[in-house]
Amino acid sequence: MLSRAARPALRAAAAAPSRAAAAGPSTAATYATLREIETRLKSIRNIEKITNTMKVVASTKLTRATRSMNDSRKYGEASNEVFKSAETAAAEAEDKKSLVIVCSSDKGLCGGIHSGLSRTIRRMYAEQPSGFDLVIIGEKCKAQLQRTNGKEIQLSFAGVGKDIPTFADAQAIADQIVLLPTEYTDVKILYNKFINATSYEPTFIEAFSEEAIAQSPNLSAFEVEDESLGNLREYSLANSLYWALAEGHACEQSARRNAMENASKNAGEMIGKYQILYNRTRQAVITGELVEIITGAIASEEM
Amino acid sequence: MTAAWKAAGLTYNRYLAVAARAIRRSLKEDKRIVAERRAVSELRFATWKNGKPSETKDLASANAAAMAESASS
Repeated sequence: MLSRAARPALRAAAAAPSRAAAAGPSTAATYATLREIETRLKSIRNIEKITNTMKVVASTKLTRATRSMNDSRKYGEASNEVFKSAETAAAEAEDKKSLVIVCSSDKGLCGGIHSGLSRTIRRMYAEQPSGFDLVIIGEKCKAQLQRTNGKEIQLSFAGVGKDIPTFADAQAIADQIVLLPTEYTDVKILYNKFINATSYEPTFIEAFSEEAIAQSPNLSAFEVEDESLGNLREYSLANSLYWALAEGHACEQSARRNAMENASKNAGEMIGKYQILYNRTRQAVITGELVEIITGAIASEEM
Repeated sequence: MTAAWKAAGLTYNRYLAVAARAIRRSLKEDKRIVAERRAVSELRFATWKNGKPSETKDLASANAAAMAESASS
């Protein structure tokens, strides 16, 4: 990104000597490039400052995000424990209609984690062109998937990613999803799984439909009334969503930290290069001036 | 027997949210402020038809409206 932005200046610097030769008075031209390099240098310094600040902000947010991720993981795992012991499996139906919930966020500048999610959806779409609908959380994935899979999108949510996702967010989203008119055989939540600070993997969490829960072979181990299964389904959807949102948020912050670190490093490298170029040009200008003065002095002496 | 909250059209999540709000409000001042920050939700949403989004709406109020509707029916 930065190198691309800098290219016009490099080209200008390369083109400057020839322009100087054509324009006549060489001193004016070199002064101009000197000024040019200086402004360029200044702007790169500013960019470095900004990226560095963003990195620091992301680092502090990351510690809080990882803490909430670890907490939310407990929520998700505890609620999935029920389904594990009930041996719930996705309902097998003739015409499967699944719902995929994509957990991205509103903010960019964090490398390729959003496009990783979009790519997974597109790959899925290539394998089975119909048979799933999309619910998208976050502007970034919405913008990316709108172009290719606009027809599948049922709902989109915005306003996530400003702060650590709350359980209230997850509940509100789950409620709105439950209100969708179509009946889905299974619900999958796509999120970025946090493997370590530098690698994430788009992963699915299964959330089950009411029939799937009712049909699970080992459900009799729990003594529940049939009515409460619907509640369980809603609640577990909110739980899984909260887990996915929190983990996605942690991934985003960590990705942003890495991206900003790289950007600052690149900016630092460029500053070094431009500083050298600037000094060289300055020296050349001074040398040129000296030569002119000396030549003038010698010429007037000889007269 | 259906629970009162179900008869009022609330979903289980909404019921939980209301209960959680009541508990948060009954906390002591210092703890309440921290806890109430966990209850804020500023989500907006849009429903899509044939690849076109509708107007974005506030999620919390839309949920409340949908539940009020299901209560009266």
